[in-house]
Amino acid sequence: MIILQKKHEHKNHYKQIIEQDFLEENIRNGSILSISQWREAKHIVQEQKIDVAVEFSSNACSLSDKDEISKAAMVQINFETFKDGRPFTFAKMLRKKHNFKGELRATGHVLPDQFIFLIRCGFDSVEIKEEDRDIWLELLEIDEGLYYQP
Amino acid sequence: MYKYSDTDKKIIASRVKQFENQVNRRLEGKLTEEEFKPLRLMNGLYLQLHAYMLRVAIPYGELSSKQLRKIAFIADKYDRGYGHFTTRQNIQFNWPKLLDIPEILHELSLVDMHAIQTSGNCIRNISSDHLAGLTLNEIEDPRPWCEIIRKWSTFHPEFSFLPRKFKIAVIGCTKDRAAMMVHDIGLRIIKRKNQVGFEIFVGGGQGRTPIIGKKIRDFLPKKDILNYLEAILTTYNQEGRRDNIYKARIKILVKELGIEKFRSLVEENFSKLSNKELEIDDKSIKEIFGFFRLPPLKPNTNQMPFKKNQEYQYWINQNVIPHKIQGYSIVQISLKAPKKPPGDATSNQMRALAEISDKFSFSEIRVTHEQNLVLPHVSNKELFNLWNQLKIQNLATPNLGLITDTICCPGMDYCALATARSIPISQKISSHFNNYLKQEEIGNLKIKISGCINACGHHHVGNIGILGLDRKGQEFYQITLGGSAKEDAAIGEIVGPSFSKNDLIDAIEKILNTYKKHKINKSDDFLSVFRRIGIKEFKKDLYDNFTKKA
Ligand code: HEM
Ligand code: SF4
Repeated sequence: MIILQKKHEHKNHYKQIIEQDFLEENIRNGSILSISQWREAKHIVQEQKIDVAVEFSSNACSLSDKDEISKAAMVQINFETFKDGRPFTFAKMLRKKHNFKGELRATGHVLPDQFIFLIRCGFDSVEIKEEDRDIWLELLEIDEGLYYQP
Repeated sequence: MYKYSDTDKKIIASRVKQFENQVNRRLEGKLTEEEFKPLRLMNGLYLQLHAYMLRVAIPYGELSSKQLRKIAFIADKYDRGYGHFTTRQNIQFNWPKLLDIPEILHELSLVDMHAIQTSGNCIRNISSDHLAGLTLNEIEDPRPWCEIIRKWSTFHPEFSFLPRKFKIAVIGCTKDRAAMMVHDIGLRIIKRKNQVGFEIFVGGGQGRTPIIGKKIRDFLPKKDILNYLEAILTTYNQEGRRDNIYKARIKILVKELGIEKFRSLVEENFSKLSNKELEIDDKSIKEIFGFFRLPPLKPNTNQMPFKKNQEYQYWINQNVIPHKIQGYSIVQISLKAPKKPPGDATSNQMRALAEISDKFSFSEIRVTHEQNLVLPHVSNKELFNLWNQLKIQNLATPNLGLITDTICCPGMDYCALATARSIPISQKISSHFNNYLKQEEIGNLKIKISGCINACGHHHVGNIGILGLDRKGQEFYQITLGGSAKEDAAIGEIVGPSFSKNDLIDAIEKILNTYKKHKINKSDDFLSVFRRIGIKEFKKDLYDNFTKKA
């Protein structure tokens, strides 16, 4: 898998925490937490000033102000299916309502045809299969940057 | 009429390119059918019983003669020489080949047309009143607002993967000729204390759960319309059900939450998320309205010509209404000629109409949600001349608003979802009630026919609704009474057990007899009688006779 940030390619620096039981000991720069893990451990993140990601599934995109999501370095939304459009609205909410300024990444079942939509809704990056790179870049290329919405 | 700007043209052209890419990837196997489906649907491409079906948008029902000629060209070159006008002001081609689709889309783009968002779970073609801008009691022309909303909703990055399809209609007066109350969002332009704005309805719809829209806002200032629509769509996209396709429309969300709760969520989004950039300033409103000015009509005292020709006089009576400019008429063209599938037009008819509209109606044609066409600005003194030319094309059937002016979906003849045929039923009705005087005596009556519970033929809101069912491999038809798609919108009530195809006409006759028995005077039409006497009388006459005799 590779990470595409617009047309630039990156390696993935984030990893899921495997050992669920010792969350506090295991948490480090680059950890991916579920929202409940984040709720439990966000004080550590702040104390130790580390960068972690919080992961949501497209079918469970919800947050409250108390979650202080703006303190996470990255939010990752996993599309269960590309037909589930909730993350597009959730991205808007993260940016406008929850003041999240970090990296917003789409993973899971996303189509290259959705790349521009994702970017326009506030996503920064996508995780895709390496062999799909050309199609994603091609569809980015076809887009001429003309839109009806602000 | 609206003219595409350079930006519009580029956006459509780039979409054609993108779709070409998608078709190629599908043909190369890089997209699965499951992945291709929503992409093709967003370009109006359905997979049907016999072939692909392409649905082309006619935004708010407005066509130029040039566009109609192009549609005729496409019907000839890529289809079987005809097209089908639908209840949402679209036109469908029933036989195109997948490989030809990008080329068809390219041809359409040359005349500022497209098939974007005519299907799929996105905001569909915006529909409107086919008499927009033509009548005196209008508060404001709804078409410029349709165009503003069309732009905003096209390739909306956030709302292209909604729980389900989403339909918006806009009207500009108290008369509802766009079935606004059975849309996901219905907008009515109103005036309050000298300020013009919108009254907003939400959660109307047909399908298997027919619901009349609920009012969510009494009054919204014009400039806020896009922000308010975003607030509704935001709420729907987040909260709408995705677990069950039959419960995914916004009407179910509104029903489950209740309109009060739904309204509070929307209002919260409206106040917290509104975006200054989506506000519409007076300058851009003025600019858009500039596209929809009337052609240069000069008020005059010409009357509709009287001729000693009965057929012509019937047509004047039934199909022609006065224009707001004195001396001009609005000519309604019925696509319900006897024995023809409702809403179908051949390429020859389209070409002839394009020419007729050049001669008589400033090259403008409108499409109505009742599957008819309109020539909006015809000089009174040309009416007889026009009638003669329409007549040659079998386009002068005098039945607008009468019993043979049925709305009818494609049904089993084309549609993979159908449980019964619907076109033959409308043909039966049109042959049986062919006589104009007989129809005129019956008066205003809307029969609407669907070939299955999805209700594409609007049967729920027909004064008489007919729903095709499958009972152990036999076609049966359930009748509902008292529906209306107008400002007094109502869902019809089921009258009783369904009828076989052979008994259906007889049942309709009996229903009409009950109506005639209770009719007080000529203007007492079917719906008013029904509302006065209720379904019981109809039921009794329809089913009791039989048992009494026995
Ligand atoms: C031939 C292919 C067609 C297919 C497969 C099809 C499919 C459907 C389905 C599945 C629904 C129900 C959606 C729902 O309740 O959520 C529906 C509704 C509808 N369709 Fe079609 N349809 C077709 C053709 C047409 C045509 C030709 C018209 C116009 C004459 C039309 C107009 C409508 C309308 C007005 C509705 C009701 C919208 C509502 O539920 O509020 N459709 N269609
Ligand atoms: S009502 Fe049913 S049969 Fe008719 S077009 Fe719609 S889906 Fe097909």
